[in-house]
Amino acid sequence: MLRWIYRFLNSSIGRKALMASTGLLLIGFLIAHLAGNLSLYKGEGVFDEYAHFLGGLEILPLAEFLLALLFVAHITMAILTTLENRGARPVKYAVAASHGKKTVSSTTMFISGLVVLIFLGKHLWDFRLHKEAFEKAPAEVVQTALSNPLTAMVYILGAIALGFHLFHAFASAFQTLGVNHPKYTPALTWLGRVLAVILALGFASFPLIFWLSQGGAH
Amino acid sequence: MSAEKTMKLNLKIWRQKNADSNGSIEDFQLDGVSTDMSFLEMLDVLNEQLISAGREPIAFDHDCREGVCGCCGAVVNGQVHGPDEETTLCQLHMRRFHDGDTIQIEPWRSRAFPVIKDLIVDRTAFERIQQAGGFVSVSTGSAPDANTISIPTRDAEKAFDFAECIGCGGCVAACPNGAAMLFTAAKVAQLVTLPQGKLERSSRVLTMVERMDAEGFGDCTNHYECSAACPKGVPIEAIAVMNREYLRATFLSPEGA
Ligand code: FES
Repeated sequence: MLRWIYRFLNSSIGRKALMASTGLLLIGFLIAHLAGNLSLYKGEGVFDEYAHFLGGLEILPLAEFLLALLFVAHITMAILTTLENRGARPVKYAVAASHGKKTVSSTTMFISGLVVLIFLGKHLWDFRLHKEAFEKAPAEVVQTALSNPLTAMVYILGAIALGFHLFHAFASAFQTLGVNHPKYTPALTWLGRVLAVILALGFASFPLIFWLSQGGAH
Repeated sequence: MSAEKTMKLNLKIWRQKNADSNGSIEDFQLDGVSTDMSFLEMLDVLNEQLISAGREPIAFDHDCREGVCGCCGAVVNGQVHGPDEETTLCQLHMRRFHDGDTIQIEPWRSRAFPVIKDLIVDRTAFERIQQAGGFVSVSTGSAPDANTISIPTRDAEKAFDFAECIGCGGCVAACPNGAAMLFTAAKVAQLVTLPQGKLERSSRVLTMVERMDAEGFGDCTNHYECSAACPKGVPIEAIAVMNREYLRATFLSPEGA
């Protein structure tokens, strides 16, 4: 009965479609996440209020579970696809040039994804798993975490890697889902690139500002 | 018109005895190569010299030598079919190179295209993908009337863009992932664009993709190198059409239940 689903998930196109659709949903999450974080710039009180509002939501556990599921599906498909592709050319070219279409972003998707994943581990520890994260006011937790230069560095690297990842990812996901249209594809390509830069700069701005202000204080 | 010149070249060519042996790059010096020669003629000249010296000539595929059959192909200095856009190796001219140049010549590299000898690879994987569904089932008993089903010019042109694929395998060779999606997609997109091909659209895309995956090609991650290297300029849109067809066949058709 579920043979067709098994077949879909075992096919090159099925895996890519799942990777693309979960990726797009994750981008949606990132936009909401950044928008929420920006409340930090409106003052600690506003941010604390926002954090408490989120924390108080009844559907939060369900939302977190679904979010985790998106990550797991996306990463699993990425690993399977990458392994398949590594094996598809057992003998490498002595000279590997190109016809000028691949980009730094498109050829480093797995690595940039891995850096984001490492960042994510640290991020979850700092704000979600670490015991102290629940003992202080949310804005204070951010302050403590980001004033550590090493943490700030990891966060900045994570944001840069995310930017590189999304630079290719957004338009690529649409192509994978079968959306290629002479009117919309050029716009989607640019929208994806602009979105990548905005998200990277937006997320990097927090550690940068905390780090710099901290440096100034000492 | 620039006058014919001759040049001396350093060639680094992949030599491999057969599918079971390990190959390696061999160096050759070739003098007196005319700028008017095609790339394959340059290899012919080298082979004549090798034969008269009692050595094994370099094996390479070719047939029409006018860019229509899809037999020829090699990676030249890292570029599939050489540096020219929309040009097969047989249509590449030596005037693209300079006296004293070093030219690296390698076969297509793919798990699904094992090297048979030197620059020749086994591309029967493509034939198996084609046989898995790259056709329309029509009675061939008598010639059907050419205009029984009229097709809008726009669709006919579009289908022809996809149908230009000559099956050379350059897309696989150029893809950083060794994917065969442009080839398979060209067939799927060509047929589904035409009314005759719509009848079997669901079963076709499912079986062709299944065959393609089973042959050991990689997965497309949208680098778009394939279309840029394609000697016939098959548009990247073909792959989006195939992806769309695959999703449609999986989720909206009863096929494969
Ligand atoms: S030999 Fe026929 S396309 Fe080059």
